Amino acid sequence: MAPRNRDDNFMDVDSDSDISMLGDVEHRGKGKGKGKTTDKRKKDKGKAKAKEQAYTWEASYTRSWDTVQEDEAGSLQGAVEDLMARGRRRRLLAPAAAIRRAIIRHLVLLLDLSAAMMDRDMRPTRFDLMLQYAKEFVVEWFDQNPLGQIGVVGMRAGIGERIGEMSGNPQDVLKCLSDRTRLEPTGEPSLQNAIEMARSSMSHLPTHSSREILIIFGSLTTCDPGNIHDTLDACVKNKIRISVVALAAEMKISRDLCDKTGGQFGVAMNEGHFKDILFELVPPPAQRAVVRAGGPGANPAADLMMMGFPTRLPDSSPPSLCACHSDMKNEGFLCPRCMAKVCDVPTDCDICGLMIVSSPHLARSYHHLFPVKPYEAVTSMEGESESTVACHACARMFSTSASTAATSEGISPWGRYRCPDCHNDFCTECDVFVHDVIHCCPGCGK
Amino acid sequence: MEKASHLSVIVDLSPTQWHLSAQTSNQYPLSIETFLSQLLAFLNAHIASKHENSLVVFGALPGKSVLLYSSTELLSDDAPSLDANSYLPFKLVDSTVVQRIMNEFDAIGELEEEPPCALVGAVTKALCYINRITHPSSTMPGVAEDPSIVHDPRILILSVSPDLSSSYIPIMNAIFSAQKLKVTIDVCKVYGPDTVFLQQAAHLTNGSYIYLERRDALLQYLIMSFLSPTSIRKILAVPKQDKIDFRAACFCHKNIVDIGFVCSVCLSSTHYLYCFVTKF
Amino acid sequence: MPVQSLQNTDVIVPQHAPHPLLPFLQSQSQTTLTRLYQRPSSCLSIFRLLGPIERQLIMNLLWLESALSVATMSAWVLPEGKNAYDSALTVMTGLHIAPNSTVKLALNPTFKSSLRQAITGGGNTGSFGVPTDKDGKRQSANIENLDAYALERWETILHYMVSSGQGQNPTKPSQGVLYLLQRSGLMNNAHGAALQITSSGFQFLLHSPHDQLWNLLLQYLHMAEERQMDLVEVLSFLFMLSTMDLGREYSTEPLSETQKAMLEDLRDYGLVWQRKTSSKRFSPTRLATTLTSSSPPLPSSHSTGGSRTADGTGAVALSSGAAQQGFIVLETNYRIYAYTDNPLQTAVLNLFITMKYRFPNLVVGMLTRESVRKALGNGISADQIISYLTTHAHPQMRKNNPLLPVTVQDQIRLWELERNRLKSAEGYLYKDFASQADYEYVLAYAKQLDVVLWENAAKRCFFGTLEGHANVRGFIERRTGSV
Repeated sequence: MAPRNRDDNFMDVDSDSDISMLGDVEHRGKGKGKGKTTDKRKKDKGKAKAKEQAYTWEASYTRSWDTVQEDEAGSLQGAVEDLMARGRRRRLLAPAAAIRRAIIRHLVLLLDLSAAMMDRDMRPTRFDLMLQYAKEFVVEWFDQNPLGQIGVVGMRAGIGERIGEMSGNPQDVLKCLSDRTRLEPTGEPSLQNAIEMARSSMSHLPTHSSREILIIFGSLTTCDPGNIHDTLDACVKNKIRISVVALAAEMKISRDLCDKTGGQFGVAMNEGHFKDILFELVPPPAQRAVVRAGGPGANPAADLMMMGFPTRLPDSSPPSLCACHSDMKNEGFLCPRCMAKVCDVPTDCDICGLMIVSSPHLARSYHHLFPVKPYEAVTSMEGESESTVACHACARMFSTSASTAATSEGISPWGRYRCPDCHNDFCTECDVFVHDVIHCCPGCGK
Repeated sequence: MEKASHLSVIVDLSPTQWHLSAQTSNQYPLSIETFLSQLLAFLNAHIASKHENSLVVFGALPGKSVLLYSSTELLSDDAPSLDANSYLPFKLVDSTVVQRIMNEFDAIGELEEEPPCALVGAVTKALCYINRITHPSSTMPGVAEDPSIVHDPRILILSVSPDLSSSYIPIMNAIFSAQKLKVTIDVCKVYGPDTVFLQQAAHLTNGSYIYLERRDALLQYLIMSFLSPTSIRKILAVPKQDKIDFRAACFCHKNIVDIGFVCSVCLSSTHYLYCFVTKF
Repeated sequence: MPVQSLQNTDVIVPQHAPHPLLPFLQSQSQTTLTRLYQRPSSCLSIFRLLGPIERQLIMNLLWLESALSVATMSAWVLPEGKNAYDSALTVMTGLHIAPNSTVKLALNPTFKSSLRQAITGGGNTGSFGVPTDKDGKRQSANIENLDAYALERWETILHYMVSSGQGQNPTKPSQGVLYLLQRSGLMNNAHGAALQITSSGFQFLLHSPHDQLWNLLLQYLHMAEERQMDLVEVLSFLFMLSTMDLGREYSTEPLSETQKAMLEDLRDYGLVWQRKTSSKRFSPTRLATTLTSSSPPLPSSHSTGGSRTADGTGAVALSSGAAQQGFIVLETNYRIYAYTDNPLQTAVLNLFITMKYRFPNLVVGMLTRESVRKALGNGISADQIISYLTTHAHPQMRKNNPLLPVTVQDQIRLWELERNRLKSAEGYLYKDFASQADYEYVLAYAKQLDVVLWENAAKRCFFGTLEGHANVRGFIERRTGSV
């Protein structure tokens, strides 16, 4: 991770890991982000580039080991806690107001399979690392977006290549990503061809679903048959959001693709950063009313979708053929409308086209909508009754003496974090665990 | 070497339900005293199986959830006097669990209306606890993390209360995090009607859901179905629940629907995700 | 290890070797075992030594009043687990826990009632040891002291063994221990005066402390049989120790004479601690209380006196992480860095590496051909060296996959193979044949019998095995006789 640059302004600290992305947000805010002067990238753009920090790679060359301070005992606990504090702050900064998020997502994963991916600047190669992260991404993505679908398109040798059809089944997507030999990189990439292919596969989708393209791009060139800006305009018209994770350097066209369509752009600095910016695209994007045609107050996309809740056949039921693979199986789900048997949910019924989901799938998306309130760090022990000696959730004992290592904002020297609703104290680990995984406060049960 | 296993037991301690359960009009009345004595034998059997097995007991009481026993907790305050006829860890479990339950019951007092049992709190606490022991923290320096120490964590829920519709979302969230932590949730429905939420919990985490038909054979049920760690369950058939209702209830009338209409993009400010309209 | 797991793909549950004590118990008569089962603590300990399936089966049967038909029980087993289930039943029958029957399945009544008693408490057998009241005047030994004591005793034994071959003079363990070591064949005094470590002794050193402990105790049990001690008393005392609470004092009053005699021996091994030999109370050490568990019986020498939680039984599961921490870093260039200041660990390492440097907390050495061959010559096998390095690998090494560098593993195995270049076979050399025809004729006959080990046509001689000699000789005699 990028080191802390400045101590006086922690907003800056939080954003420096992905400078370009913050700038990106500002662009989207109608491109007139004058309010924040701390945004370094804007400063660079505005002022002359002959300044001492002309390029980001020069800026990032700070002595990162100097910023990690050992405490008296020689442990790095302080530094670790500082990292935790960043996570906490990011959460606190997240808008508390309701955001509309896309629940039903369609994503095309556009993989660069050009010769540039064989570069070894990321270990073992860009290509292998991309496949590995892409697989992890798919798993995590389906975990958080159970109603979504992913298709995979590769770009190599000047053309776009369909690698995997749109599918709601993570196993299908993973299977097409796991065949390494079939994906062997070669030739030049063509952004336009690949985007056109992705666009055509999404053109039939209903308006209520989000359409996204995620490009992992390692090359510095693109070899296009026509004007890529036409393609870009078509994407804007089709409300396709394009996000790019670049492995080499920023290209003007990649930046434009993201800016114009409302996607995110990031350049990976190293392996860890690559993963970070990739995984930031996992949670459903906020839907912005600005993009939509309707004025404020209008609710244009709140369509009602028809969904079927299937009956699950137990393992002991007599075997029958399924509609999707024509396999003889005992277990399965019955489409409530046409009574066809399908193997797995969520899916679209092969016979009547009804979207079939099970209620747990819907429930999986809930936590995006009802997040747990961030806990407050307990910074002063005065006036506290000594009733709670252990974490309310995991019964770990709190330390009785305040640690001196961390003095940063949002860190409790006692390692206590308090729920604003039920006023119970939680330890650092549980705080993170509750907010990142469980999404439910053990104290208030909400 | 065979790995140690962790068991978190969540006991539903709703006074009302236990009172109902003990009524002699039931076919198999089960009072909380008999229940506890059988449960303690089961807990001891778990500890007996392996020296390193760890055990945590949570109680879900009206309106709150409490930790009743934890094998990693220091119990210096009320250590029972040792006697030559019982194994010390067993005795610790027995006396601690019983004593704390009694304390909690005494504290409840007479209330006009009993708040529902905080089952969700107990489950999330159990998950936090499992998270803590499976990922040794950085705040305990010197203890090198050995991934083999805690293996195969399980949660056993002994439920007597009916479903609480307001706890649907938190329960589902807990189930998903259990899936992530690879925790198996077993459910034993000791009294009362089947609960759909817990059925789903058991199904989604590969656990087993058992509705106790003969309550006098509680201990045998517990041992045959819930004592074995997951590695053994591959060999010895453990009953599983097959009929699970995956249909959803509409938000407007709470009717179970086969086909419903789901709002594709909901504003959370309206506090519900779907506006289900019944079909006709 | 990985090879094994590949072969056993049909068996789902990982098979682990049965505990070394079980074969010994199985060899005992039914009356002995039934007497042993009268004590709840023994039942509990034996229960813990069994495999997971056996334990589950026992638990299933434990609370049933009537016998269960065999068919009912086996219906409960999935077809994949049939083999494991059958072998589990065999073990239980062998231990007379479940009588052999083809119709009904039930537990031995003595075992059943004792184990029930162990789990529910109660009864008046006193088999878990009679604790003494807190003595105001003399403070009882705390866990730290007990650990230090156990460690000191145990390492004295091991250190004595490891250094016996090197002409050093470490502190001698007591006479009883020496006798036991000699009896068990770990050491012998072939050359008269001093005891020398044997090749099985070298192998013993590389085992885990748990295995070493049981190894010695098994020998002790065998010895007890010869010394006309009552085996039930001996075993039940060991089992009682294993269920005791660390850091507590127990009274010697209820012990039988045999057990009091055992106290002395066990004190020498470091299993129990007594203030004075005549003391009326004793405390088990961690060596004893972990007999039936898989947590490490010895605190590693690094962590003694460290921050160990006070609650002995409960905290073991968590604190054992510290004790299991490895200390060896092995690099692909055969260098070994061992972060230890323990002379015993250094001495054991010295069995198969060449020491380069020693620092207060670090020993650096090399795995060389000479050092490994020396170890192989002592009877240590390549697999033992590799498994020792694996079990004691530094946490940092555990991030590697495979754990040890493959080159080094292969090389150690190759060095072992080197020693197997010569193979000796007893036999006869047939030479000085009168003519080439004679030679070929006899050779052809010998080849028919498949007894030729070596032949040289130019020198007209061949070497035949011992078994074939009578035939070949008869053949030659018949031939010379007939000519």
